[in-house]
Amino acid sequence: MQILTANRLKLGEVAYWNQGRWVSRLDEAELMSGAVAEAALKGAGEFVRSGEIVAPYLFEAHETAGRTVPVKVREAVRAAGPTVRTDLGKQADLGKKTDLGEKTGLGKKTG
Amino acid sequence: MYRYDEFDAQFVRERAEQFRGQVARRISGELTEDEFKPLRLMNGLYLQLHAYMLRIAIPYGTLSARQLRKLAHLTRKYDRGYGHFTTRQNLQLHWAQLPRVPDMLVELAEVEMHCIQTSGNSVRNISADPFAGAAAGELEDPRILSEILRQWSTLHPEFSFLPRKFKFCVIASDEDRAALLIHDIAIKVIRNDSGELGYRVYVGGGLGRTPYLALEIGSFVAKPDILAFCEAILRVYNEAGRRDNIHKARVKILVHQIGIEEMRRRVEAEFIEIKKTGVLELPAEELARIGAYFADPPFETLPARCEAFEAAKRSHSDFADWVKTNVAPHKMPGYAIATLSLKPIGKTPGDCSSEQMDAIAALMNTFGQAEIRVTHEQNLVLPHMRSSDLFALWQKLVPLELATANHGLVTDIIACPGLDYCDLANARSIPIAQAIAKRFADLERQHDLGELKIKISGCINACGHHHVGHIGILGVDRKGVENYQILLGGSGAEDASLAEIMGPGFDTEGIVDAVENVIGTYTDMRQKGERFLDTYRRVGAVPFKERLYAR
Amino acid sequence: MLVKLEHGRARTVEDLFVAVGDDESLPHGAIVVPLKRFLAETTPLLARETPLGVRLETGDTPQILGEHIHRLALIVLHVPYFKDGRGFSWARLARTRLGYTGEIRVTGHFLKDQMAFYARVGVDVFDIAQNIPFAQIEAAFSEISNVYQPAFDGRATIRELRAAKRAAATISTS
Repeated sequence: MQILTANRLKLGEVAYWNQGRWVSRLDEAELMSGAVAEAALKGAGEFVRSGEIVAPYLFEAHETAGRTVPVKVREAVRAAGPTVRTDLGKQADLGKKTDLGEKTGLGKKTG
Repeated sequence: MYRYDEFDAQFVRERAEQFRGQVARRISGELTEDEFKPLRLMNGLYLQLHAYMLRIAIPYGTLSARQLRKLAHLTRKYDRGYGHFTTRQNLQLHWAQLPRVPDMLVELAEVEMHCIQTSGNSVRNISADPFAGAAAGELEDPRILSEILRQWSTLHPEFSFLPRKFKFCVIASDEDRAALLIHDIAIKVIRNDSGELGYRVYVGGGLGRTPYLALEIGSFVAKPDILAFCEAILRVYNEAGRRDNIHKARVKILVHQIGIEEMRRRVEAEFIEIKKTGVLELPAEELARIGAYFADPPFETLPARCEAFEAAKRSHSDFADWVKTNVAPHKMPGYAIATLSLKPIGKTPGDCSSEQMDAIAALMNTFGQAEIRVTHEQNLVLPHMRSSDLFALWQKLVPLELATANHGLVTDIIACPGLDYCDLANARSIPIAQAIAKRFADLERQHDLGELKIKISGCINACGHHHVGHIGILGVDRKGVENYQILLGGSGAEDASLAEIMGPGFDTEGIVDAVENVIGTYTDMRQKGERFLDTYRRVGAVPFKERLYAR
Repeated sequence: MLVKLEHGRARTVEDLFVAVGDDESLPHGAIVVPLKRFLAETTPLLARETPLGVRLETGDTPQILGEHIHRLALIVLHVPYFKDGRGFSWARLARTRLGYTGEIRVTGHFLKDQMAFYARVGVDVFDIAQNIPFAQIEAAFSEISNVYQPAFDGRATIRELRAAKRAAATISTS
């Protein structure tokens, strides 16, 4: 499945697409496939032109045990914040511990 | 240090206002992101993973206490209470917001600071020896030429849209504390056979996908000619550098494509033309005028040996440990150069909180230190401490977590922000640095290992300088999983060399063990007095590869 | 919109030149031809009694024009994408080393924020494609009052201004 993401122009923070609007939390992002994802990416162009967001793109994620888990570490980091400062970023600001999953644990097996 | 006059001050104020206009045009939609991006990059503003990142210029790594206090204030008011000192002696703030950046630039301008050309395809921050003006054996303060180059390169009408970034470095002693030869133009102040001071100029250094050490292009450039010579190099590069492929666009690629002889021929032809016009001649009086800003502070006449200092070392072994690695000899008797390590075990290398910045500024006042320096190894230096003040300084540094006694040791790791912050990264670098530091935290063991420079980059752009680490670590993305390659044998000192890759990479679980294996190979094979780098150069890669990949 | 910079003032001007392609027949009057055509048809083109211009692409150094450069009324520097900064060097080269005194015009994709740089190195006319308010264009040339380095425009550098100020201070205190 794909998720559409971008950064908000003014704040620079990460945003996710959910049926035509931009949300801040990965767990609220819309999981899409194929044509729906492509259409969403195209639709994002309007928000680029209006200056709400910059640089939209799609990334792969799965739904696992009720959690949205990105395939790449980069997206897990974007969703939560720096792994080395858990007091900063969405993981702290959004008030709910964002579960990075086994992807980012140092010393644990990955992949 | 250099002090702005009304012209410099007006320049940075106007530049801040110009950027305010550009930001307004972006937010109103008048400028697209494509059009705005080069403009914000020319003011050091990146869009990173979590937020905007603002890179503040610290020319040749020199800061006053007043500037440091302003930086502390900026991190509190506009950011998240800390900054990151970089391998180019600059400061990065990782949580900037676009509409507030113009105000940040105005506040920076108030203390003679700016973010001009800290990014983009222009001449970047001029870096220099952090021990400038303090180390013995220096021919002159390398910051004199650095400041002249800074002004000449600022908003240069011809060279603001180069094929790629362009980095200068200046040193003036045989010891290289600034990684001279990894710069696009590297300049060493030298004395010729007639006893005249001038410059040896190298061109084409740089890391990244294809690392090169700079090659000599001017064995002795006389002082009045240096700007014309540098302009000639930049013109040849601007006209002939590749623009079709971002990974082949640095001047190092041009130098290796046409060869250093051809490069020299073209540069000299251009140099002769510029010299004919005389417009870029650097007069002795200008050198003297700028030089006056970098004159020695009023040093006291002090005895070479300070009994109180010696007694403190005897009675406080912690202090003695700190002195052993973090205090270097000064050119003046009774003075010392103190390195404040920003590498406490388990913390982010190079990060400094607003509280620490304010505390350091206060210490600078307490101990009469007009300047502090940022090093490319992401530490801070107080260049003119009295030996008699070192114990008191150290005592104050300890509770601030600024007294880690690890300068040059295995836990004094350089790490780029990596995938925790950076949009370009493929892997995280900070947690690797932290894990390695924790594994080798025992100070006795660190001293046994001696000088051991580990440098970690989270991607091929090599902002962590992994190519010139004794142990270099490069984070890559291997099928979506973070993977770390080990390179050995690099050096960013006067014995400069590029590290060699050992073989397949290791995952986050295995990299620390791998580093321990590398270090174990060294301790097994070393001869008396050999640093890690010496042993590696003597025995070569094979023993290290064998241990790394032994089944 | 064609904007000409003269004595530090900007004003809109009419384009007196007709741009002619590689194969089109040549109209009467002032024309601009691509470099390739100029090199192929140098003699007949120079024989014309009306002003002649040559359009250079970003990889073309004005040195290619040789001595003929002085016979040209116009050199057009075409910039395909603003990041390509070779035009700054070409303009500078044409003005200084080659001593060209005709019009240098920049066209293509460039930013308002680059115009001050182009002006310093000797460009005097800007072919502006977008709808930029004229006040903004004027402002673009004066946003930064002073300059650090010498350039073709002959503006006093900050170093020279400082020296003048010091000299004035000496006089007033003597």
